Parts: sequence; C-alpha cells; structure tokens
Amino acid sequence: MLNGVLALWSAAVLYAVFYIVPPAQGLGYLVRIAFFHIPVAWVSVIAFLISAGCAVQYLRTRNILYDWWGSASALLGLLFCLSATVSGAVFAKLTWGAYWNWDPRQTTVFILLLIYGAYLALRSSIEEQEQRAKIAAVYALLSSLTVPFLIFIIPRFYFSLHPEPVLNSAGKIAMDNSMLYVLLAALAACTALFAKVLTWMVSCKKKRQDQTAAEYEKELRQL
Amino acid sequence: MTRMMVELVNIGKCYGGHYLFRELNALVQPGECLAIIGRNGSGKSTLLKIIAGLVRPSSGTIRVVANGRELQTDQQAAVIGMVSPEVIFYHPLTAMENLQFLLNGRNLEATEQAALHWLKQVGLEKQGNKPVSSYSTGMRQRLKIAVALALESPLILLDEPSSNLDTEGKDIVGQFIANALAAQKTVVIASNERWETEYASHKITLA
Amino acid sequence: MPAIKSPWRKALWAVLYKEGLCELRTRYALSALAMFALITLSSVSMAIAGTSLTPELAAVLLWIILFFCAMAGLSRVFVQEQETGTIFTLRLYMGAQAVIFGKLLFNIVMLLALTALIIPLFIIFLNVDIRLGFSLSLILFLGDVGIGAAATVTAAMVAKTQGKSALFTVLTFPILLPQFLAVISATAKVLSHTVPGLTELFFMAGYDLVLFIAASILFDYLWYD
Repeated sequence: MLNGVLALWSAAVLYAVFYIVPPAQGLGYLVRIAFFHIPVAWVSVIAFLISAGCAVQYLRTRNILYDWWGSASALLGLLFCLSATVSGAVFAKLTWGAYWNWDPRQTTVFILLLIYGAYLALRSSIEEQEQRAKIAAVYALLSSLTVPFLIFIIPRFYFSLHPEPVLNSAGKIAMDNSMLYVLLAALAACTALFAKVLTWMVSCKKKRQDQTAAEYEKELRQL
Repeated sequence: MTRMMVELVNIGKCYGGHYLFRELNALVQPGECLAIIGRNGSGKSTLLKIIAGLVRPSSGTIRVVANGRELQTDQQAAVIGMVSPEVIFYHPLTAMENLQFLLNGRNLEATEQAALHWLKQVGLEKQGNKPVSSYSTGMRQRLKIAVALALESPLILLDEPSSNLDTEGKDIVGQFIANALAAQKTVVIASNERWETEYASHKITLA
Repeated sequence: MPAIKSPWRKALWAVLYKEGLCELRTRYALSALAMFALITLSSVSMAIAGTSLTPELAAVLLWIILFFCAMAGLSRVFVQEQETGTIFTLRLYMGAQAVIFGKLLFNIVMLLALTALIIPLFIIFLNVDIRLGFSLSLILFLGDVGIGAAATVTAAMVAKTQGKSALFTVLTFPILLPQFLAVISATAKVLSHTVPGLTELFFMAGYDLVLFIAASILFDYLWYD
C-alpha cells in the first residue's frame, strides 16, 4: 500500500513540475532541473548523516546490523550525490555557460563525493566482515569531523583565490509559493524513495546472510 | 605477587558465519595450568588470543581476576606474558633493544645488567647486541621466553613454546613452566606436545 | 631481578625512539621521500624554465609536493609493521595511546625534516622571494602537523587492507582538504608579502587539535578488537 502511495505522490510531483509550476524569473523552464537537483542533494547529505550515525552505533554496540544500514546508506548516498553533481553541472552550463566553476556549493558536493568514494573503496578492500565494519565506521566518523571545517573554509578560500562570483546558486532565487510547495513535495518524495530503497537493500542483505547461515547449519548436521 | 584466576564461560568464536569453537568452559586458579589441545587450524591460537584480550569472542565471556579484582578487556593484555609464533621482533634492532622496547611498552625499564641476566637464563647473553635479523628461529624463540621472564607476568600464555627448539631449548621451556607454576602463576599452554601438556591440571580439546 | 616501573611517557618515547632507530638503520622511507621531493621540484623548475610563478601557484605547488611526499612515505609506520608481522608484538606489549602518539610524532618529525629540505630547494629552483620567514615557518609547521596526524590515522586503517598505497592517498585527501585549502591560502598570502590573519592561524591550529583528539579517540577502536 505504501508503495502505491509513494508512486502516486511521485507521479503528482512530476506532473506539478512539468505542468503547474510557472517559469521562474530569468531562468524560464530550466528551473525544473532544480526540482530534481535540490531534493537529491538534500538526500545525499541525509544519507551521509545516517552513515555517520550508524558508525557511532556500530562502534558502541558491535551489532552488525548498524554496519549494514550505514554501508547501504553510503552506497545510496553516493548515487544521489552523483545525480546531484551531474544535474547541478547541467543546470550551471545551461544557465551560466560553464559546467564547473568551484562555486562553494559545488565544492561541498564534490567533497562529499570524495568522502563517499573513499569510504566505499575502503570497504571493498577488507574481506573480514567485522574488521571491515569497524574500520569503515572509524573512517566515516573521521571524515564527518572535517565537514564542519569545510563549511567555514570553503567560502574564504573561494573568495581569496577567485573573483566575486557573478553567478548565484539556485537556492537564492526568490520562489513564489507554488514553487515552494512543489519543492517541498519533491523533497518528501525523494526522501521517501531513499528510505524505501535503503530498507529494501538491508532486508536483501539480511535474507542473504540468513540463507548462508542456514546452508552452513545443514552442512554441519550432515557431517 | 599478583594472583590471577582465569575463567572461560561459554566462549565461542565465529568467523564469517561459521563457528571455530563454541561453549568452551574452564576455570584456572593461580599455580594451575590449562592445556589447549587440537589439530592445526582448530583455533588454539585464537583461543589464546581471546584470553589475552586481543580478540573479541563472538559469544560468552572471559573473566580475568587479579587478586580478587576483575580486569577489563583492555587491562588484560597488560598482565600477560605471551610466547607465540606470531610474536615477531624488530629485525633492525638488537635483542637488548627489543627487550627494552617491549618492557617500556609495559611501563617498565631495565638496567643493562638485568637485561643480560634474563638473556643468560635462555642462553643468549653472547648475542645480546646482535640484530635479531641475524638470529636463527630457535634463538628468536628463546628471546621470547626471555621477554616473558623479564615481564614477570602473573598470567603466562604459551603457544607451541618449544617449537624450533633443540633439547637444551626444550629444557629451558620446561624449567620456565615449572618455575612459573611453583611461583603460583597461572599458565595456559596451547600445544600438541605431550610433555608440555603434562603440566596441565585442566585440558580443553578443540575439534 | 625485577624491572623498574617507569612513567607512561616512557612508552610513548620508546615508540618514537624505536621508529627513529629502525628508520635510521634501514632508511626505508627517508631516501624515497627526499628523492621524490627533489624530482618533483626540479621537474617543475625545468618545465617552467625561468618564468616566475604567481604567489598563489607557488603556494599550491609547495603544498602539492609536500602532500604527495607525505603520501609516499608516511604510511610506513603501520604498513611496514603489518607486512613484517611485528604489529602483533606491538599490540601485545604496547597501549594504544603510546602507539598512536609515538608514531604520529615520528611522522610529524619526518615531515618537518622533509620540509626543511624542500624549502631551500623551493627558493632556489622556483626563484621565490620570502620575506616573512616566521609566518611561513608557522604555517608550514601547522600544515605539517595536520598532514602528519591525518596520515598516521589513515595509515592505521589501510594497514589491514589490500591495495594499501593507492587507498592511503584516497582516504587521506578528503580528510585533509580543509587544512589543505587553509594552508594554501595562508601561504599564498605570505608569498605575496602579506601577514596571514589570526583567524586563519586559529583555524589551522584548531583543525590540528581536532585531528589529535579524533586520532586519540578513534585509534582505540582500531587498535583493540
């Protein structure tokens, strides 16, 4: 039933984006990309926070479920982050003529991409499950510590080495109410989609693990 | 003189879904020896490491009690002396330097005279200032025993202690175990050598 | 004949001393680092053939060289222990805090020594004019401490993985990025003969402090099972 609601909601959002939302001042119909870009960027940050939270819980309780949630969240987060980067770059090209210019928000999303990539590379290089969970959790926490620093340093660095940007990030565009509501609806849909896929990924993993354990028990009994 | 008691309660270890061993129970009092017997790959070394607090058991608990006070896991390593094939010394350093370094790790230090005394007990006094890279496997094994002697740990864990040793070396090991038990220390040996396990009052056999 | 009790600082000093002794006797990392620095600096100098660099570019270059030198040599403290098998011995006899801070200090000392080697070459090869010596030294010190601290913790993580050296750089870079950007900006200022602001210095020092605290807390999880 929940799947049905989600599907309907997403369809409604898509309809609203294409048929209801008026063209934005100066951007025209290109503003539609923002309705995709902003929700996925938002979700990629949420996914990162979930990963970090699961890392703390794993180190405290050593319950492997936290590791599964954290790693699934990181993988999904990477996909959402990639989507955010690409959609942002396309938007930038269409509106301001350049795909990439190290605008503070672009830099932040790029760094998030690096952290996700590094985290997943680390996971894939450790075979033993508990070792992998522990080391990955430590890295997730170490990298989350640097994020607050990034928020302070990036604007300073950017302004000291580059000229004042002529461009404005999408968030600064004045929005009328219909746009705001559709955006919030899109955010909700995207978050719900993320939650759905995340839960599905963890349940798949659990099923696989239960299957392996059952097979092993069977073998043991036969011996 | 610290008196150590070690209790294993339903200890099990699982790697990637399958159990190496499970539901192991034992109680070792000061002056007693526990022998862990089993073929290669049965988990003897892993069990020793669990007792040493280096590996977390998948199930069950280890209780290490020093003079009536139970120790936390991170305090366990500080009271043990371990002789194991996995202990490898620093090759660029001499035996004396290795000994001093390991003692420093336990917040202890020794005079050169004291260090020579321990090396003499294992027959290495003449090679004390040579780098460990020049040592034979038997000499390295003896150095491990020297380190255990220097630490005077109340809980001694031995993993195949007389491997790579000649008759004289085996005598040193035998003397070491006997002296330790006489001094009311607690000893755990993982071995398949009959003469070593004969010191034991309790035995655990791993499948 | 019992051994004498010594204060816990002794363990830390013992780790630092042991690292230094082993490194001096084997010269495993030192020679590689020095050659790496020399090669990169001289290649750039040859390539630009006498044209002077803007302060920003010179600052970027300096820190890129330092960073990649660090990536080439600082993982040794844990990776070599893992490969030779001595990590088990270390776990058995050393506490986590003595290990992490001993190795961290060793890496910082190595990096500072390397920086002391690189700076004169930097001035010579790239024709850079340095007037604010103290400010530059301070920035270099703070930057090196940050790189050393981050690299030591990530070295502890990669020691148990497959594909260690590539992974080491991949893991360390995102963590160091804020410090990296800050030191480059401060160095660019110094090379343009401007004194860097106090906020920037506090930022760098604060970042180093946070890294030290994080290293201390997180390493316990890595070290103990």
